Amino acid sequence: MLEVRELMVFYENGMAINNVTLAVERGEIVGVLGSNGAGKSTLMYTISGIILDRKLKEQRRGGERITVFGEVVHRGEKITGLKASMRVRRGIVLCPERRRVFPESSVLENLKIGAYLRDRSEQREMLKYIWRLFPNLFQLRSRAAGFLSGGEQQMLAIGRALMAKPDLLLLDEPLLGLAPAVQVKVIEAIRHIREIGITVLVADQYARPLLPIIDRGYVLESGSITLAGTGAELRENPDVRAAYFGV
Amino acid sequence: MAKRRERIDRPIRVLTEDIYALESLSRMIYVAAPSVFPVLFLLLLPLFTPSLYMQRVLILTAVYALLALSWDFIAVATGLVSLGQALFFGVGAYLAAILNLHFGLPPMVTLLVSTFAGAAIATALVAPCLPLRGVYFAMTTLVYPLLLARTIEATAVLGGTDGLVGIASFPNVWVERYLVLAFVLGATFALRRLLRTDFGLVMRSISDNDQAVRASAINITVYKLVAIYLASALGCFAGAYFTHLYMFVGLSAFSLDLSILPIACAVVGGMGTLVGPVIGAFVLVPLAEMVRDLGTLRVVFYSLLLVALVLFKPEGLMSFLERKYRQIERWVQV
Repeated sequence: MLEVRELMVFYENGMAINNVTLAVERGEIVGVLGSNGAGKSTLMYTISGIILDRKLKEQRRGGERITVFGEVVHRGEKITGLKASMRVRRGIVLCPERRRVFPESSVLENLKIGAYLRDRSEQREMLKYIWRLFPNLFQLRSRAAGFLSGGEQQMLAIGRALMAKPDLLLLDEPLLGLAPAVQVKVIEAIRHIREIGITVLVADQYARPLLPIIDRGYVLESGSITLAGTGAELRENPDVRAAYFGV
Repeated sequence: MAKRRERIDRPIRVLTEDIYALESLSRMIYVAAPSVFPVLFLLLLPLFTPSLYMQRVLILTAVYALLALSWDFIAVATGLVSLGQALFFGVGAYLAAILNLHFGLPPMVTLLVSTFAGAAIATALVAPCLPLRGVYFAMTTLVYPLLLARTIEATAVLGGTDGLVGIASFPNVWVERYLVLAFVLGATFALRRLLRTDFGLVMRSISDNDQAVRASAINITVYKLVAIYLASALGCFAGAYFTHLYMFVGLSAFSLDLSILPIACAVVGGMGTLVGPVIGAFVLVPLAEMVRDLGTLRVVFYSLLLVALVLFKPEGLMSFLERKYRQIERWVQV
């Protein structure tokens, strides 16, 4: 359902993404593994379209010059030039790195913002689902999001993205800065999300918890894909084990 | 094959820290031009502006340049947005008038005293607001000039609404012209220099992330006070200078224009560069005079131009020019 073809992204001082081609099929969980600075976030920004906004903003300020080559194809249509808001309408929703919840708004309000495109009955339906997925968010529903713990904020961010009823959910570093026990909860949630028919593309550097749940994965190193395979293949790969498992 | 536009620094030869090589003339000009030409331009300008009117515009520009510099320095060094440049200006202006009228001090002495003592008074007034940030700091600084102006008006001290007249003027026109220009140049270079020292590093860090600075065992209030003191010294000098120039001081020394226009200058010129606000003043103030002939429409033109500059060159003239000077853009094959 999503294809990225020969994608290249340049920032002013060099290349962030070098000739990346990848595909995500309906119903899959696809992982992108990479260490810091490998280009995971740039890839996510490019797929979600946020890079276009950044590009315009930076150019107007005369700052960083961002250049994008290649194609992003969603359900057979090229969406490379489409604005981020239009991509959300098509069902591509990003849950950004570092959560970016609205700290002054309550948990419930945060979720409602995510459902901007949805009518009330859909909102209620998704809300019910999210309360089931993350029961402790329901307890915290009227608390300001800024006072939640890191793990709760991550769950809220995923919940907010889900409220848009995506058919492709992009998760950028959902495990960042979480305790192992909390990472397990998030991983469980991702598995659950797939079961209701949402395709997931997840980028992270924590291979150990991530690899067991992904169908396929790509390893990104300084902007290029160096390895691709099923989750099991990657788990057995000696290079991956050395780089991400520390053995 | 696709091409992209690349922006790279102009090729320069690497000079180590302690070897100063005198290279080709063109190279030396390239390095020196950005600082030498503006200085020469500014110093020669009074010689080529014959009419009294033009001279006054030039002086007004320099005064606004000082206020803009002062605003920008507060922004760079403390991260605070001040709306009270008129406070500094007014304190300096009234202090110079009092010193001259009641103590009979000559202009040169009053200028010196009101710059340093005036800055101390202004800093003492602003000091309680230093823990505030953002809109709260802006609001309180906006109110200070009003507070002083209304106090003078209500209690009729210091001449009340009539102001103080009969203040001594400068010994001759050349002192009058060059004093303020020299001060603008000196202050710009000194503050830029200061920001590059370790002391300035702390200041810039405070505006970036004051919590991290506090976590490094640094008392940020001291640094903020120093920054406010230096910035208010510039404003006080401008005020004292204006008092002696017009031999008069009145409530207009606290007017809102003196707080707002410097911010416009800083935005147009490029915030955070210190030189930018000075350039901004040299664009905006003469421009305001030029469009004066248009009558009521002048504000319309002036505002439109301001909006256009902010919309299309939000980085500011200074950053734009610096980028064009230091970097080249070229197309490269991908």
